[in-house]
Amino acid sequence: MSALALLLARGRVGENGHDMKDVRASTGAAFVWALCLVAVIPTVVLLVATWGRQLTDDLFGGVGGLSFALLSLSFATAGAMIVARVPGNAVGRVFLAIGLLNSIAQISYQYGAWGLSQPGGVPGLREIAWATTSVGEPVAPLIGLAILLFPDGRLPSARWRTVPWLAVGAIAGLVISGALAPGPQGAPFGALTNPVGLAGTHGAMTVLNWVAWGLTVLVIALGAAAPVIRLGRARGDERQQLKVVMTAGAVIALVGALDMCTWFIWPHGALQQRIGILGLCFSAYAVAAGTAVLRYRLYDVDVAIERTLVYGTLTLLLAGAYAVTTLALAIAVGSGSPWATAGATLVVAVAFRPLRAALQDLVDRRFRRARYEARRRVAAFMDDLRAGRAAPEAIEPLLRELLSDPTLELRFIGPESQVYVDTSGLPVSDVAEDPRLHTPIQRAGIPVALVVHSATGPRHPDPLTMLVEAGGLAIEIARLRVELRRQLAEVEASRARIVAAADAERRRIERDLHDGAQQRLVSIGLALRHAQHELGPGGPAPANETLNRAVAELQLAITELRGLAQGLPPAQLDAGLAPALRELAAGAPLPVQVQITDERFSAGVEAAAYFIACEGLTNAIKHAQAGAVELSARRRNGSLVLRIADDGIGGATTGGGSGLRGLHDRVAAHGGRLRIESAPASGTTLTAELPCGS
Amino acid sequence: MRVVIAEDQVLLREGLARLFADGGHEVVASRGDARDLTATVAGHHPDLAVLDIRMPPTFTDEGARAASTIKQANPEIGVLLLSQHIETTHVVDLVGLSGFGYLLKDRVLAVTEFLEASERVARGGSALDPEVVGRLLGRGRSDDELSELSERECEVLGLMAEGLTNTGIAKRLFLSERTVEAHVRHVLLKLGIPDSEDGHRRVLAVLAHVRATRLRPSAPANS
Repeated sequence: MSALALLLARGRVGENGHDMKDVRASTGAAFVWALCLVAVIPTVVLLVATWGRQLTDDLFGGVGGLSFALLSLSFATAGAMIVARVPGNAVGRVFLAIGLLNSIAQISYQYGAWGLSQPGGVPGLREIAWATTSVGEPVAPLIGLAILLFPDGRLPSARWRTVPWLAVGAIAGLVISGALAPGPQGAPFGALTNPVGLAGTHGAMTVLNWVAWGLTVLVIALGAAAPVIRLGRARGDERQQLKVVMTAGAVIALVGALDMCTWFIWPHGALQQRIGILGLCFSAYAVAAGTAVLRYRLYDVDVAIERTLVYGTLTLLLAGAYAVTTLALAIAVGSGSPWATAGATLVVAVAFRPLRAALQDLVDRRFRRARYEARRRVAAFMDDLRAGRAAPEAIEPLLRELLSDPTLELRFIGPESQVYVDTSGLPVSDVAEDPRLHTPIQRAGIPVALVVHSATGPRHPDPLTMLVEAGGLAIEIARLRVELRRQLAEVEASRARIVAAADAERRRIERDLHDGAQQRLVSIGLALRHAQHELGPGGPAPANETLNRAVAELQLAITELRGLAQGLPPAQLDAGLAPALRELAAGAPLPVQVQITDERFSAGVEAAAYFIACEGLTNAIKHAQAGAVELSARRRNGSLVLRIADDGIGGATTGGGSGLRGLHDRVAAHGGRLRIESAPASGTTLTAELPCGS
Repeated sequence: MRVVIAEDQVLLREGLARLFADGGHEVVASRGDARDLTATVAGHHPDLAVLDIRMPPTFTDEGARAASTIKQANPEIGVLLLSQHIETTHVVDLVGLSGFGYLLKDRVLAVTEFLEASERVARGGSALDPEVVGRLLGRGRSDDELSELSERECEVLGLMAEGLTNTGIAKRLFLSERTVEAHVRHVLLKLGIPDSEDGHRRVLAVLAHVRATRLRPSAPANS
């Protein structure tokens, strides 16, 4: 039994630990539940054994009996689970009591009914049948009490404290009047007398019974009013619990009330069916209230209510439209015409989608304002996106705002890289360790992103799911854009690396030429001169001549090497851009006005600037027929701005194989911009902006 | 002539030493880098220090900086800078000093001229490489008084700047000394420089003028 209790207690709600009291409560609940189960088995066996019995006013025969057996099980199961998982909640104990009393009443009823049909009689028939009324009737006020105490097992307020006493009074009245009324027992056991009836109290007991039933009706009515009053001030989970039970309760009450009404207008016939429906209603209440208290899928009720409203109204409207159209067409084209049916079907088919959308909007606007607003905002955003007024990445701040979660983040899954990146394209490595909620987003079955968000408020994923569905296209586009940007950044970085590597290589070659080959040649020349000296003035003239020629050859070679090194970034660049550019300007065959900042920049930026200045000057000298050049370099807005302006013929373009094309590539490699203003006859101005950090 | 050599390439250093020895000069010290160069020069107090402009440890302008230090401490010591290629940045402030020379390395192969230039520098004269002079004078410029000089006068100006005397210029250009004198007078007149008999002062005047108009770095751009 303890094992059963623990099984029931698994996954229980609330913060309390398993203390001994709770375990005892669970064990007790499990015991009662097992009793009910055990009692139901003979009940059903007896019922089936006497199926179709001819017994006057046999309310609980046939389907009526089955329905009430189910009622026992529903209340006992729901009650046991509540006691085990929400130990402090009185609703569980009341449910268990209902289940137990009803089980006892039912088994005694079925035994009595079976006993009556046995020709030889059965032992204890009178005594066992007696329990039916005295034990069964108190179930009614107990149900009222359960409704009153739902969902937290407490009274709505202190002012309600008399209501349980009314219930107790009703129960006492029903038990006493049922147990002690003298004479024949209640239907269908009129043939049996009460074994413990108090003689001479018949009138009093009848009055007591009526009073007790009056109290019962009062308790049920007050109990039914309690959830309505609670709903006004309930928040969060309790509000959802009340919504669940009131939704179910509304349906149950409607069906139950209709069912009971038939009693007044049609006292006989189909009794078992009618009492069966009533039993099912109570069972349904037990299930609804039990799941609500246990918080099982608590928040799906919103969807259920909304769907019910939308589709209920939709069905009514469409049915109406169908009927009206059929009628109108029948009048127009004559009844029985297939055109009427076809036309009505067409109207319904055409009206379905727009009508549903309109109803959904109406329901949202009326009942779920926030959700309606959110969806409208997303729709407006999608319109902006299509019109090019909004960037798809803006879906992230929009989701943050609509879900009131400023920490919400989108993590895109790169189509190529399959790594998580944020909206700026930076990889995020610790997504898996993020303790917040992760909601995956799929498009066409492919995971495209992850929403990382905090679990605030009710544990209700629905708004997010809805928004993500509505804004899915934006997320998909943003993901592709992010991936594109990431790849572009990678390409740019690699291009910059290649250029930097090429520059470093050029410098190395320049140094090697100057410090290696050239020096070596000079040394050899010196050695030859020394040899010449050693030969002395009296040496052989031809040898002297040969040596002279060799030295002359060496000099030529050295000059050639120097020329070769000239296209390479000079060593002065090591000392800074300003000296290198001044050197360049000084070496130019035309006047160059120089204005250059003495600041230092990264080696890559300086090399690029030098290269650009070289090309610009070359262009001015070779093609522009310029008379003078202005060369300036300064820092502006985080960029090195290099400007080369000449007074030549203009008309320079970056087209063809010109050096200016190469400049463009070089500037782009540093993420910069190159501007060429070169209208004919107004000179050429080259402006390069090279980002250089702060 | 007592010479100190600073050159990081062993072969070249030894070649230079041999060159000076062959020319009848005494190499009192030779160094492979610029680190203790000033001390060495101060210690030996030679007539001439021959320095490579790029030396360890950084291979940028150690030689030029050492030259500055030497000239400041001992203006009488001649300093001859050698470079693999022409760069004027590091030597702008030195070209006007007496007893200073700046030559491309491969000039050493023209032994006689090189030794002449060395001796001139050691005596307090100047010896600038034609490439340097060309760079300083700005060939082909057309924006100022230099454009008023005739081609021949430009040539003469260049040789003056190299440190040659009238006689030397006459020999180089195959002209009579009187003609050269006339050219020199015209050049100085056109540049507005007072004439002087002192050959070195003449060169200085020309270079100072050129430097003033050409090489003064413009004010750094405001950033």
